[in-house]
Amino acid sequence: MEGVKLTISLIIAILLQWTLRNVWDGFAFIDFPLIIVVYAALQRNAIRALLFATISGVTVDALSGGLLGANGFSKTIIAFIVSEIARRVYMDNLILRIPVIAGACLLNYAIYLGLHRLFGQPPSGDILVTAAYSLIGTTIAGTLVYLLLQSLSGDRTRRKKRDVFAPRRQTRRRNPIRLNK
Amino acid sequence: MVERSQKDVWRLTPWLMIALLLVNFVLMAFDAREITSGQRVVRSWTQTVADFVQSPVTSVTSSIANYFTDIANLRSAKSDNDILKQRVQELEVEAKQKEDLATENARLKSMLQLKETSKYKVLTARIIGRDPSVWFDSSIVNRGLLDGVAINMPVVDDGGLIGRVTAVGPLTCQIDLITKNKSGLGAVIGLVGESNALGVVMGTSKSGLLQMRYVPGTVEVKVGQSVFTTGQDGIYPPGLKVGVIVSVVTGSATTTHQIEIQPASKLNSMQEVGILLYEPPMRDSFDQKLPNAGKK
Repeated sequence: MEGVKLTISLIIAILLQWTLRNVWDGFAFIDFPLIIVVYAALQRNAIRALLFATISGVTVDALSGGLLGANGFSKTIIAFIVSEIARRVYMDNLILRIPVIAGACLLNYAIYLGLHRLFGQPPSGDILVTAAYSLIGTTIAGTLVYLLLQSLSGDRTRRKKRDVFAPRRQTRRRNPIRLNK
Repeated sequence: MVERSQKDVWRLTPWLMIALLLVNFVLMAFDAREITSGQRVVRSWTQTVADFVQSPVTSVTSSIANYFTDIANLRSAKSDNDILKQRVQELEVEAKQKEDLATENARLKSMLQLKETSKYKVLTARIIGRDPSVWFDSSIVNRGLLDGVAINMPVVDDGGLIGRVTAVGPLTCQIDLITKNKSGLGAVIGLVGESNALGVVMGTSKSGLLQMRYVPGTVEVKVGQSVFTTGQDGIYPPGLKVGVIVSVVTGSATTTHQIEIQPASKLNSMQEVGILLYEPPMRDSFDQKLPNAGKK
């Protein structure tokens, strides 16, 4: 069930990445497939995350003017690194996931730009400004998407919420009536 | 279905990653080779398949975007209306003058026995997709091989040159804008034949601006002058308007001018474009022997 949900999310993410730029140019700064790839990697299913990364990356590349496979390459590395981190560190807390998506976004752009330079196809635009906008856009959108995906998880939601907010100490008040019994 | 233990999965993961990275690397190498050689096959076919989804989605998103734009535009409608009325009157006068000029031009051409008919047709096309990544200036339009589009055909709008076709599928094609870093075209400041300020126009990292290189520092160049194609690059026909000069850092006898150009076409708001069904003249036999002669 989790796999189906994530697959549908990935398809929607690719469609959004592809079409939203027609509505407003600012949407191009959000990397929707990366958000889903990182989310899949955080679920500790590394194989699924790697496959998601390659498929979504190559699809976006095929619709873009960049090198075919550059996005797939960078996202595959991101998926592997994030799944390795998630394997070793407990990352189910949303607060911890925010820096992960931000770091993933930066690393993704670094690898993507590096590959284009390697193959002699430097992209246009101011790299620092574009990377900064992308970092902000993807991190905010990623946080919202994670909240949405968690709320769709049904039974797991309550447990996740408990992780997001610091658990209060549960102290049971002594019931004088029961004590009498 | 074989159930794998978590340990097996973690053992398998690095190998899967290496295999996927190799696949991606091979794709990149293949694609980088195709960029220099011309047709980008995988991309063309993906865009053709994607067209069946993209066209209806574009229609819906455009209508939604237009709805909100219309609401925003209503606020300034009255003042715009007054300005437009005045502008219509000016244009009517201008059109009359142009009509006279066209008649005179036709008469002079016939006197000089020049060929009047254009060498190429214009095929109108609609933008159905923009580059999903933020780094590249390319767009997808709804015309392809079946409409007679071929690689390297110039793309224009009513303002001037937009770019060229870089990938063609049966129903769609991809166009790279002139603002893209790797783009380049032969250009001249002023009209072809009347000016010797020749140079190369290239995309810049500044969004929306072009730069013109190799214009000798001894040639006089002013802000506001128009730049046109020369036709010497073997892709674009001569006489297409590229843009207007917005800044010049004057060169000297030994250094060239540093010129920035504002494109004449509406690159950010284009909805419909024209593809020129233009084939550049054949190269000389000497040119064809050059190492890169096979590359289109």
